[in-house]
Amino acid sequence: MALIEVRDLRKVFRRPVKDPGLAGALRHLVSRRYTDVAAVDGIDLTVEAGEAVAYVGPNGAGKSTTVKMLSGILVPSSGSLRVGGIVPHEDRIANARQIGVLFGQRTQQWWDLQVRDTLELLREMYAVPRRDYAERLERFDEVLGLGELLPVVARKLSLGQRMRADLAAVLLHGPRVVYLDEPTIGLDISVRDRVRTFLRSIVEEGTTLMLTTHDLGDIEDVCRRIVIIDHGRIIYDGPIARVKDGFARERTVHAQLHGAPDLCGLREALPGAELRTGQDPGALTVVFDRFDLGNGRVVQALAAAGDLVDLRIEETSVEDVVRRVYAGDLELGDLDRDGEAGPGATAGPAGPARAGAGGGSGPGATAGAP
Amino acid sequence: MRAYRALGRNALRTVLTYRASFVLNQFSAFFQLLALFALWRVLLASGESFAGFTWPQMKAYLLIAFTCGVLMSTHGDFRMAWRIRDGMVAVDLTRPVDYQRARFAEALGAGAAECLVVLLVVGGAIALTGPAATPTPAGALLFTLSLLTVLPMKFCIMYLSALLCFWTQNFLGVGLARAAIVSLFSGALVPLVLLPHWLQTAAALLPFSGTTSTPALLYLGRVEGSGALGLLGVQLLWAVGLWWCGRAAWGAASRQLTVHGG
Repeated sequence: MALIEVRDLRKVFRRPVKDPGLAGALRHLVSRRYTDVAAVDGIDLTVEAGEAVAYVGPNGAGKSTTVKMLSGILVPSSGSLRVGGIVPHEDRIANARQIGVLFGQRTQQWWDLQVRDTLELLREMYAVPRRDYAERLERFDEVLGLGELLPVVARKLSLGQRMRADLAAVLLHGPRVVYLDEPTIGLDISVRDRVRTFLRSIVEEGTTLMLTTHDLGDIEDVCRRIVIIDHGRIIYDGPIARVKDGFARERTVHAQLHGAPDLCGLREALPGAELRTGQDPGALTVVFDRFDLGNGRVVQALAAAGDLVDLRIEETSVEDVVRRVYAGDLELGDLDRDGEAGPGATAGPAGPARAGAGGGSGPGATAGAP
Repeated sequence: MRAYRALGRNALRTVLTYRASFVLNQFSAFFQLLALFALWRVLLASGESFAGFTWPQMKAYLLIAFTCGVLMSTHGDFRMAWRIRDGMVAVDLTRPVDYQRARFAEALGAGAAECLVVLLVVGGAIALTGPAATPTPAGALLFTLSLLTVLPMKFCIMYLSALLCFWTQNFLGVGLARAAIVSLFSGALVPLVLLPHWLQTAAALLPFSGTTSTPALLYLGRVEGSGALGLLGVQLLWAVGLWWCGRAAWGAASRQLTVHGG
């Protein structure tokens, strides 16, 4: 049995409908009107123990609401979910023992006390043996530099410091499932790298990780599987590599040559590639499909076309792909059906990019583990 | 149990971090005590009794009312409601502890500091104005049991009023109404016997008298024998009933919960 099993999960919030202005407010007092908004609209998700899943989507897509239902904080409107065999909202306390949850916007700390006091409280709350506690603190000190934060009162922490202390608070009891919402927000580059390394290591040790983030660097570094949600529905669920192979096929080489290159020769040597020249006669950009042409062939062709001075290779990242999905330029549902990006995959901006995306929550999309 | 003890300890630490603010918080109860002392002193100056209270008895009543007012007030409904409105309730709910018991543990933890205030003020008042009435041994025992029952009772009343936040989305109005109602019907403002008959009937039907009037009456021995035991029994029943009301209200409130963003 999978560790996390979610079937047709829905959460509907009731939102008051108020006309603008004072008149609208007064009218609402007399006759209350509400509209139902589905924050999560029929999600199916299966996560195996030890998996690291990136759960991404634009703001308001339903990521946090899903995590709150998985944590037992919110009661679903319909559908079923189990985490380690426990229904979170029915047995919140038992579920809380096995999970660690970080909400990037809300601190884990007792605002008026030292970080040390909060960690001590959590040690008692989760009945962590003293030895394990000491070992974990040592590890957090190595990765997160926690030692210097222990005597600091929480309200005096900077955002980055708070995030480090919060990560320690979430992982202190060695939970088997960890939900992290924006865990690297506010961290400087070196700490961010250390946090990512640390997250990889806890996943290797068997912790199941669900990572909600807008920092796609986190995703590529830590996770192998990505679940993209939009308008409360899953529009893609599968290996990150597949998204990359399907959509991030494009590679760009920026070259600087001494003098104008032989463009005709280049076109013959690099069929299918797009050549762009800059204002500087020696500046040349080659855009090609990395599955049709290799870097070596492109570099050779460039060297043959002129006196090569400088070279820079740019890869399309998952970030670009996800950005295009958010913008509605890309429909990943086609990837699930065809196994690769078909010609219709890149629907134009005006295309019904998300209208048919509901298919993403079908059986093909929840095939699960990489 | 360990978890709840730790929560109580941290709540006490928080109180001790903001000593000045804590002391200022107790000022309203303290000034009310001063005003009532002055008022009753004048009313009972001739040495006679009023509504059956002599000056030493009234002094004891006022000091008990002060004690009941201060206890469990620091981690009260305003604080609980603030955490709910702010959305911090989401973090509280990720902890492996019962929500109601956890809040009770915090209120009790802060109560340790409140006990210190009570000792100082009551000791000071007696030192300055002479002794108050003392109870019989039976009265002292009943009073102690009753005062201990005040703790969960007061907590439950505040917990319930804080949970109203889930429906009203705003707490100030609810909080002020709660304070006014409790203050009148508990006997904290004036002994209930001085209220008009219809208000006395209302007070008898409501739970609030258990948070001030009952311990005071038991201390002063104004109700004795089976009457006293009955009074204590009613107070205990209310405490248990309110605790389960809290549970039911939480069950309904948690279905009402919406936490947006992060």
